[in-house]
Formats: sequence, structure tokens, C-alpha cells
Amino acid sequence: MSYRKLFYAFNAAMLAVFVWALAVDFFVEWRPYQATYYKMAAEVIEKRAAAEKDPKKAADIKAEARAMRHSPMEIKQIIVGDLGRFDRCVTCHVGMDEYTNPSLKNDFKENPYKSHPKIDESLVKAHPFTKFGCTSCHSGQGLATTKEAAHGWVKHWEKPMLKGDHIQGACVKCHGDFENLKGAEVAAKGKKLFNQHGCQGCHAINGWGGVVSVELGDIADKPFERIAGFNFKRVRIDGKELPDEHHNSHWNIQNWIRGHLVNDPAHNTPNDPFAKLNAEPIAPSGMPDFTKELSREDADAITAYLSGMTKEEMIPYRWHVPAPPAREPAFADSKSHGHFVFQKYGCAGCHGMDAKQGRRRFNALGAGQKEYDEKMAEKDLFDNMQLGAEPTLPDLMGTYTHEELVKKISGGVPATDAKKWNPKGPMPMIYMPAWKDKISKKELDDLATWLLSIAKKDESGF
Amino acid sequence: MPTLDIEKIKKEIIDSQIWRSVFRGGVWKDTPRDRAGHIIGNVWLHLHPVKVRPRALSWLYSWGMGGISFALYLSLTLTGVALMFYYRPTIGLAYRDIKDLEFAVTLGMFLRNAHRWAAQAMVVAVIAHMVRVFLTGAYKKPREFNWGIGVLLLTLTLFLSFTGYLLPWDQLAIWAVTVGTNMAGATPILGNEGPLGSLVGMRINNDVRFTLLGGTMVGENTLLRFYVMHCVAVPLVVGILLILHFWRIRKDSFSAAPYQANEEKLDVWPHLVKREYIAAAATTLFIMVWSILQNAPLEAIANPNVTTNPSKAPWYFVGLQELLVYFDPWIAGVVMPGLIIVGLIAIPYIDTNPKGVGYYAWKERSFANTLFLLGVVMWFALIFIGYACRGPNYAWYWPWESWYGLKAAPPATWSVFGPKGVGALPMLLGIPLLGAVSGAWMLLPKLIQKELNGKKTMGAFLGLVALLAAAGMAMGKMGPVQGAFLLFFTGSSFYFGFVLPQRHIRALDWPRYLVTMVLVVSTMSVLLKMCARLAFNIKYVLTIPSISMNI
Repeated sequence: MSYRKLFYAFNAAMLAVFVWALAVDFFVEWRPYQATYYKMAAEVIEKRAAAEKDPKKAADIKAEARAMRHSPMEIKQIIVGDLGRFDRCVTCHVGMDEYTNPSLKNDFKENPYKSHPKIDESLVKAHPFTKFGCTSCHSGQGLATTKEAAHGWVKHWEKPMLKGDHIQGACVKCHGDFENLKGAEVAAKGKKLFNQHGCQGCHAINGWGGVVSVELGDIADKPFERIAGFNFKRVRIDGKELPDEHHNSHWNIQNWIRGHLVNDPAHNTPNDPFAKLNAEPIAPSGMPDFTKELSREDADAITAYLSGMTKEEMIPYRWHVPAPPAREPAFADSKSHGHFVFQKYGCAGCHGMDAKQGRRRFNALGAGQKEYDEKMAEKDLFDNMQLGAEPTLPDLMGTYTHEELVKKISGGVPATDAKKWNPKGPMPMIYMPAWKDKISKKELDDLATWLLSIAKKDESGF
Repeated sequence: MPTLDIEKIKKEIIDSQIWRSVFRGGVWKDTPRDRAGHIIGNVWLHLHPVKVRPRALSWLYSWGMGGISFALYLSLTLTGVALMFYYRPTIGLAYRDIKDLEFAVTLGMFLRNAHRWAAQAMVVAVIAHMVRVFLTGAYKKPREFNWGIGVLLLTLTLFLSFTGYLLPWDQLAIWAVTVGTNMAGATPILGNEGPLGSLVGMRINNDVRFTLLGGTMVGENTLLRFYVMHCVAVPLVVGILLILHFWRIRKDSFSAAPYQANEEKLDVWPHLVKREYIAAAATTLFIMVWSILQNAPLEAIANPNVTTNPSKAPWYFVGLQELLVYFDPWIAGVVMPGLIIVGLIAIPYIDTNPKGVGYYAWKERSFANTLFLLGVVMWFALIFIGYACRGPNYAWYWPWESWYGLKAAPPATWSVFGPKGVGALPMLLGIPLLGAVSGAWMLLPKLIQKELNGKKTMGAFLGLVALLAAAGMAMGKMGPVQGAFLLFFTGSSFYFGFVLPQRHIRALDWPRYLVTMVLVVSTMSVLLKMCARLAFNIKYVLTIPSISMNI
């Protein structure tokens, strides 16, 4: 080919590719949605015009319909000044844009055309869109203007839209009193379960709770970079592995939290109990297996509650609603108060509901373990290490006096005092923290009283 | 009906006062005078000569890479200026502005993609240009100085790309730049972690890294500094050097391609200009199509508290990052790049071979070509390892392996010579021994006056190493893979670093010979240290902790 022909060919090609680029830029997802909305809205207005008897009024309504039909195609956004956010969701969800649809109501059934559900209910009324935007409750990527990116179903956007009841986590962000709110029932149930099952014994929330494991006050902000992909990959929801798509609608913090409740956490995080990859053996996740205590709904409720645990969103103090002062119920006797204290500080997290059965403590001593034998097969070793457990209190308390028990709880048991079943195995995780600065003197006394009351009596006569 | 006489209208337009005041020359008659006038009378084109030798026009000779690099530089300037209208270099706004480019600005994503991909393409094009100029010996007298300017331009191209890498302010940016700039802290004397640095009072908040970052970590000041360097300071320097580079090309008779008998020179207009245009057009087209099909990466917003695992430098620096596995940062990040830049600039002054100017000369310049290409291949091999074979914790993952698979923690490393308790052998033995070995290696090729028989020497050396490996295996100290590593790496180091220099440059004068050998031995030290680390878990051959000096 001669250079002259090449010259024309390349110029034509560059022009064509530039037009291609313009076309790619022009034919974006939001345009057809917006155009369809204008058309649908105009048709509704036209119907109203046809029904109007007064010709002058009908002409006005027709003009309104025309204006709606020819509304400019544009990126619409809500500026949430308090958060410094720009929510462009209304570019497609035009029915929720107060400028296009001042009543914020329409009869369309489908997304993205339909108006916001429950628009007349106090829950929505109390949160005007122009002030709160969309993502402060729903999460997602407000700046984005494509479906996948805006809903946060893309890599590197770690806060995808909250699905279903998880949105109740948004109430938790600002409302200290969310347990009394209509519409936040699931999150409230989540908090109740969280405390009932003793999660706070190990996980503090905003400083309240144990220090054995991570603080959960900002768990919703946990960067995925801090979750090993190997562990996330093992999470099963409803018995199925999550699709192998890092950082999208499946690999999100909700499924990571839920994954700890509907799976045995030791399955998610097996670590290295036989030192195959590391110089020293490392026990599997120390978190107990809650699968038998919590249903899927329970797990979802706890997940919804914890979804509100964020610090990085910089919610202005004006948005916060304080919790009512905590009031503790009155108790007739110290025994029932002691039981309440057991609940309050999350002792159930390790010692089981109502102290009935100590939970698993990998490679500690536990009931049903065989005698350790170096020559055991690896599976046998593992199964026996699995049987290691926290103390089952009623079996143990009988040998303690009241004072000894108070002293024991006050001082805790250091992690280094643990006795291994398999001397070559990992150090058992989880330990008894010292409670003396957390539990008050009166509470401690009553707790000891309750514990001694449930202790099994030694019937042998000694 | 009056007919339309286009020729007449054209003539009238061209002869009008307005046209003539803007464009010099009258109606185009395609005479040699017109063609020359096109070049001389145009401020942009007159950096060209009027006539050029036909050899210089061949695509196979020049690859068009110099022109393509410049075309990319121009398109980077255009897209870069356009992007500056939308971008604010503060940590509160930068990331959001990039999102706006993607989601709200007309052609914003296209512009950003074009800028990103053109920058990557320019790095490749400039390196390819350098390789071509080397292979055709076009850096030799009288073009030594221009080669040096070219090396500086290559360095600045990398630096431009590197400073631009930070601007999106995402996790990719902040950690790549952290990896890159941390090496500056290891500069000898000037860096707080470098050898002798603490002796002259370098701290984390007053050393050369601090100057680069405007702080002790990558932050707001770094973003502003990198922005100003990326958009103003460095392009200005590059522009000045480019003018010098082009001017010297013109002054040094445009092309090194040698004269041929009965050669008739060709007019630059149209013969060269049309080629340049097509090269630039093809490049632009390529970048445009690439920019439509592939979006530039953007990860989560930068978070100094969350380190990505692995954190990798931009791909063109990943080779240096891979060197960090084998050497301390002051060697991998400062000495090695320094040696590469200085060594490249020195090449025209140490290469006294008068042959092979302006054509590909494999036989006549076998030593120069072999060693240079070995360097280029090693550079890209290290990039490949660092980019494709390194996963979480910088462990070795083959490209086809999933990063979700777990790898055993790396085996413990050890040092050969060091103070008591650190090295396996005493440090005071290591210093003279290491000095003696490298001294002998540097001097012997020249001191042995007679050319050694390559095959016999190699055979003897490989036999010796094989014997050593066999002894090691018999003693249970190494396995067959380690033996193979030993044989391959020491063998190639001996061949490229001893046999070839002995054959080719023993006649060189002492100063040139020594400079060459310093470069050769440093290159081979990379191969040897790779072998030591990968096969034998040796961290340091010699360690002197008291002055942070580890080799």
C-alpha cells in the first residue's frame, strides 16, 4: 500500500475510532432509563389531560406532559453536604428525584422507575432525601452512574448496597435508641442475640465488652485486604461456597460476618495446627461454633446489627440520636442477679448458655479425649484436639469457696497457663481475662453466688 | 451555466494576501525547491535536515521508535493538560475527581485511559529506541553526548510515569509509590536507613526520602509534590532535553547509517515526513483503541493504614523491587539503578570498537551486543518474576497458581560472613576474601595475556562446579535442583563475566577496561546472588551490621 493510501486509511481510522469513543461515552446505561422514565411519566400526565374537561386546564396539563417528555438528559445528583457525598442514584431512579417528581410518588412498579417505597411512612419522611441522600442508608457507590458500579457490585468498592434487612444496620449507625425504633426490629433482635450468646465476652463494641478478640465497633469498615482470600473462599452460605469473585456482591463484609455464624469459624480459618506452613503450629480460629445455637435468621439479624458498626463514614454529630440511659432490672435475690451478670458480661461466649457446657478450646484438655499418643494418625490427633474445651462450670465450681471463686474471676487465667492436650500442638487460643476492673464488687459477689448455686454437689461423701 | 474552476479558486486563495502572510511559499509545484522550502520554512519541521540518506528511512533500521516515543510524549501532553482541568491534587478530592472522570465527565474515562496507556507505551517505546540505537552502534562518535541525553530522557520518562502513578490516590498508587520511595531512604549517606546514613545524622525526618515525600510517609505533601513534578517540573526538563536531543541528531548528520557508493539522498519532504506521520498515526490509533477496550485500573481509595498484600511497584520498577529479595535496598534501589544509568551513559566512552556504526553488526560487536542484551533480558526477566510470579507475602506463585492457595513460610535465611553470632564464617575473613575474589575477577581477564580457549575453559569450570555440586549432594548438603541452579548461574556468570571479557576486551586500556569490568561484575553479581538466595537461602554474603552494610 502506498503511503498516500495509508495516510487516508489511518486518518479515516482515527476519525472512526474517535467517533466510536464518543459513542461509547454517549450510549451509557443511564440514558435509556431516564428516557423511558420521562416517556412513562409524560404518558401518565397525558392521561390526566385527556380526562380533564376544562379545555384551558387540559392545555396546561398537556404542556406539562410535553415538558416532561422533553426533559433534558442529564446526570442528576443529591449533594449530601453533611457527609461530603454526591449520590447520583437519582440519575436512573428518576422517580426518587424531587426535582423531576416533586411528589416523590408514582404508580410504576419496576425499578429503576418506581418511587421510593413507604414514602408516606414516618421512617422515610424523617429522612428527607435532599438532606440524607441515598447511600447514607443504602450504601453503594453514589458517584457511579452504571448499574454494577453504583450498587457496589464491583471490585474495590467495599460497601455494596445493603440487601434486605441488612439496611437496618444503617439505623444503628446514628440511632443509639434503635432497639425502640419501628423498622429496626431485625437489628434489635441481632443485638439481643449478640448479647445472649455472649459475643460481647470476647468482642467489645465501642469499648464495651471483652478484649479477647477484635473490637467490632468498626467491623463494617473492615478492609478486605485484611481478610485472607484463602479464608474468605472457605466461607459457605447455605452450604454453598461464595462465587469466586473478590470484592463484589458476594464477597462483602456481611457475608464475612454471617460466615462466622453459619459456619464453624474453625472451618473458615483453619490456620496451621500441624505446622505444615509455619515454624510453629497455629490453632484454628478460637471463635466457638454457633451453628447449633443460631438459625440462619438469627445469623442474618446479628449481621444486620453489625452492619451498622462503622467509624469511617464520619457521620456528623447532629445526626446522632443518643441511647436512653441504660437501666438494669431490679432483682429479688442475689442469685437471679448473678445469672443476669453472667449474661451481661458475655460469660456465655466461652462457658456456654447458662454455663451449662464449656465451649470448644482447641488443644486444651476436654471431656472425651483419648490419651495423647505421639503415634496417633493426624485425623485422630485433630479430632482429640477439637475436643478441648473451656471449663464446664457446674462440674468445677463445687471445689471452690465463694472467696476463691471471686478471686479467680477477678484475676482471670493467663493464656500461658493453658494445658495442652497435644504437647506438640498449638497453644490453645482464648483465655479468661481478668474481670476485676470490669465487673463491680456487688456483681462479682452475686455472680459467684449464682455459680455456686448451680455447681454439682459432690455426692461421694468427701 | 458557469463552470467551477477549482484550480483557479485554489490559486486565488493561495495568492491572497492573507494566505501568503500565514504560509511561506506560493502554489505547490513539487520541485526540490518547494520540498526544501517545506522543511526550512516550517518552524516545527526544520529540526529535520532537508535531505536524508535512504538507509535512514528503512523501518527495519530505525523501528520508528524515536519518533513513536515523541508522538506518545505529545499525546501525553495533550491528554495530560485535558485531565488537569478535572483533577485537584489533594487527598480529599483526588480520588473523587478520578471517579468523576470515569462516571460524569464527557470522554473522561477515555482521556484517562489514553493517558495511562500512552505512558506505559512510552516506557516501552523509549526502551526499544535505546535497544535499537545500541544495536546499530549509533551512539558512537560523534553521538556519545546525545546517547547520554537519551539515557537521561529514559530515566525521566520512568520518573514521569512514576510520579503520575500516585495521582489517582488509590491503594495501587499509594503502595506502589511507597515501595518506590522507600528505596530512597536506603541511599548511602543521604538516607536514614542507608549505609553510613546514621553516622552523618540522617533521620527519618531529614533525609533524602523526606525531601522527596515532603513528610515521613506518603501523604498530602507527597501528592502535591508529585503533581507539580509530574505536570510542570519534569515535563519542562524533558522538553529542554528533547530539544537538545533533536538538535544534536540534526547536527550529527541525522542518522548514523553509513554512506554507500553512488548514494542519492532523498528529500525529507515527503519521504521522511510521511513515515513519521504514519508512525504517529498508527501509535495514536493503537492507544485510542486500547483506551476504548481497556479501562485504567482504579482500586479502593488510598488508606495508609491498610497495606495491600502484595504491594508492588509500577511494572517497570518491579524488576528493581524483585532485586530487593536478593539485595538490601541500598544496593537494589540505589546502587544498581545508579550503576545502570551511569553505565549506560559511559558506554560510548568505553566502547572503542570503531566497527558497526549504523548497521546491525552481530559478529563485529559480539561482546557489546551480548552484554547489553543480557542486561536488557535480565531487566525484563526480573520484571516478569516480580510482576507475574510474586503473590501474597511476596511468595513465589506461578502465573497459573491461585493466590488463594497457601504457601509455606519461607525457610530461614543465613549469612555467610558476618560478626560473631550473625555469619556462619567470621566477618574479618570475609572482607579480604570477598575483596580478593572480586579483585581477581576484575583483573585476571586482562592479566592473562593469551586468549583462553573458550570451550576448554568453560568445560573446566563447569566440571569443577559439577564436582562441587556432586560433593555437596554426596554430603547431603544440597539436592539436584540446587545443583542445577548452581551450575546454571555460576556457569553463565563465568561465561558472560569472565570468558567473554577475556576474549574480547583484554586489550582495552586500563581505565576503560576497569570501568567495563565494574559494570560486568555488578551484572554477574545479580545472577550469583539470585542463585545464592533462591537455591541456598543465603541472605547476605557479607554483613557488617554496625554500619548497615550488607552485601
